[in-house]
Amino acid sequence: MLFVGDRQAKGWRLAISVLAYSLPFIFIVTPLLSFLTYSFFWVEGGQMHYDPTLRNYARFFTDAIFVPVLWQTCLLCLAVAALAALIGYPVAFRLATLSGRRKYVLLMLVLVPLLMSYIIKIYAIRSILGGNGFLNRFLIWANLIDQPLTLFVFNLNAVLLTLTVLLIPFAILPIFLSLERIPRNLIEASVDLGASNWQTFWRIILPLSLPGVVTAASFVFVLAIGDFLTPQMVGGPNGFTFGRIIYSQFGAAFNWPFGAALSVILSLVMAAVIAIGRRFEQRS
Amino acid sequence: MSIKLTRRAVMATAIAAPALLRTSWALAATELRVMAWQGYADDDWVKEFQETAGITPKVVFIGTDDEIWAKIKGSEGKDFDVFAVNTAQLQRYIDAGLTTPHDLAKLPNQKDVLPRFQDLSKIKGIMRDGKVHAIPFCFDSIGLIYDKAKVTPAPDSFTILWDPKYKGKVLAYDNGEHNFSFTALTLGFADPFHLSAEQMDQVKAKLSELKQNVLSFYTTPDEALQLYKSNDVALIWANYGQQQVKAMTDAGANIGYVNPKEGALAWLDTWAMTSGVQDTDAAEKWVNFLLQKKIGEQLSQRTGFGNTVVETGSANPNDKLVWLEFVEDPTKRSDLWNEIKAQP
Repeated sequence: MLFVGDRQAKGWRLAISVLAYSLPFIFIVTPLLSFLTYSFFWVEGGQMHYDPTLRNYARFFTDAIFVPVLWQTCLLCLAVAALAALIGYPVAFRLATLSGRRKYVLLMLVLVPLLMSYIIKIYAIRSILGGNGFLNRFLIWANLIDQPLTLFVFNLNAVLLTLTVLLIPFAILPIFLSLERIPRNLIEASVDLGASNWQTFWRIILPLSLPGVVTAASFVFVLAIGDFLTPQMVGGPNGFTFGRIIYSQFGAAFNWPFGAALSVILSLVMAAVIAIGRRFEQRS
Repeated sequence: MSIKLTRRAVMATAIAAPALLRTSWALAATELRVMAWQGYADDDWVKEFQETAGITPKVVFIGTDDEIWAKIKGSEGKDFDVFAVNTAQLQRYIDAGLTTPHDLAKLPNQKDVLPRFQDLSKIKGIMRDGKVHAIPFCFDSIGLIYDKAKVTPAPDSFTILWDPKYKGKVLAYDNGEHNFSFTALTLGFADPFHLSAEQMDQVKAKLSELKQNVLSFYTTPDEALQLYKSNDVALIWANYGQQQVKAMTDAGANIGYVNPKEGALAWLDTWAMTSGVQDTDAAEKWVNFLLQKKIGEQLSQRTGFGNTVVETGSANPNDKLVWLEFVEDPTKRSDLWNEIKAQP
């Protein structure tokens, strides 16, 4: 009896593992493999050629624009990640110190913007920052300026601001979770031993929450670096990022292999950033 | 057994055959398979055509140029009788032998079209080897929208986009192809769609200058309107022509539209018969029916596009329109456009 039961159970377990592994494989790994394969084809004069080549990757390094734009995009996204983590930390901290139902209600409120359409948010921010927008009208009304400022819109600053505003909720959540996981008795012990609030924070809470901060920063970085809509809509003529180059390869340029190669390169950058983040997390 | 069955089968077919033939003949005489863009085959026109000509149009609407190619090439021209296609795309259908030339004798209304469309040999792409492969139906230009209060006197050329007076007050469409084409026209190049390497470099330099004047790029007509409303914008080069003009005037903007004197890029949609057309008379009747002045007026009223029989706001009779063609190298133009955008 037991023997039969065991075999059946084994069969079930096998079936479930196959299902569990096949779903990510079909929906995640296969598309990634397909664009990796595509990156080795090439397009010339509107015609697709299927013999493998490394020319797309070579072009990334030899043409004058790609490396500088990638570098500029990385710096921009690092700034976004740092800013989002900086602004997100106090919010997450406040949330973590609350007790009972209030904590989770406020957490929900903080995450509500994620339910909104991404494009609508960018439109709204663009209106607020625009020449006739709320921000400029307020500054003029307050007599701080007498002509509308174009400092905040249609340039890289605008991209930085907009991305930060859009991605703060993604920064708050990991920091909040890591703060929650700090055992209460450590804080109590610190207070018992005579540390001031500031000392407790600086020497106990902050170091223990750093893995969460690093996770938040890398999460925001990865989301920001792949974005092409925000730079397109608020970047103006000069806010040109790597995502926009990739996007254009799938549009009028009709050069999918090159777009795929650039995507592979971008994925490698993201993987590197995540790896560095993990190393840092493990060390602390 | 088998002999009996075969004879019965033959008898059955013999009796059924005339009925089958007559039905299919009847269907062929009264049905016309049309492929069109939204707005080119409105229900009331279809109904009127059915009543007056006794032919039933079966209309399939499409949304992109690629869809037309997929359906017509995919069926080697056999699934449709007549389709709407622009002059640039038309070339590949003619190349693939997927069209049937028109017989102008069957299109009396073509004689009353606007002067611009009278001489079909002057419209690039319509004729091949002396035969007319498509009849012009509607068009729109890529002109200049200007704010009447901020830009006086009224401009007459795209060169005003480079005027330093309007720095930071210009909106441009985010696409390399058209930007290159109209800049080529402002530089006086004869063929804006086939530029030499040297001409490309000159155009690229000129576009880098234009970028200094541009406030932002837009991709949809909606976006252009929103940018105009929330910023101080004086000039927009209108990729969507009358569609943008209508959206902006509906929103209360005080704007004017002008086709530049060096020539305005414009698309021209036509009606072509497929190689698999079942009844050319029916197809020609359809095209002729749509060339009536009444239909033209309604088309322009409803869609905002220009028609070929009645003058509209899309273009004045003396405006120079340059019908769009395929460019020499879309990938190169896109790459150069990226380079222009990447420059600080």
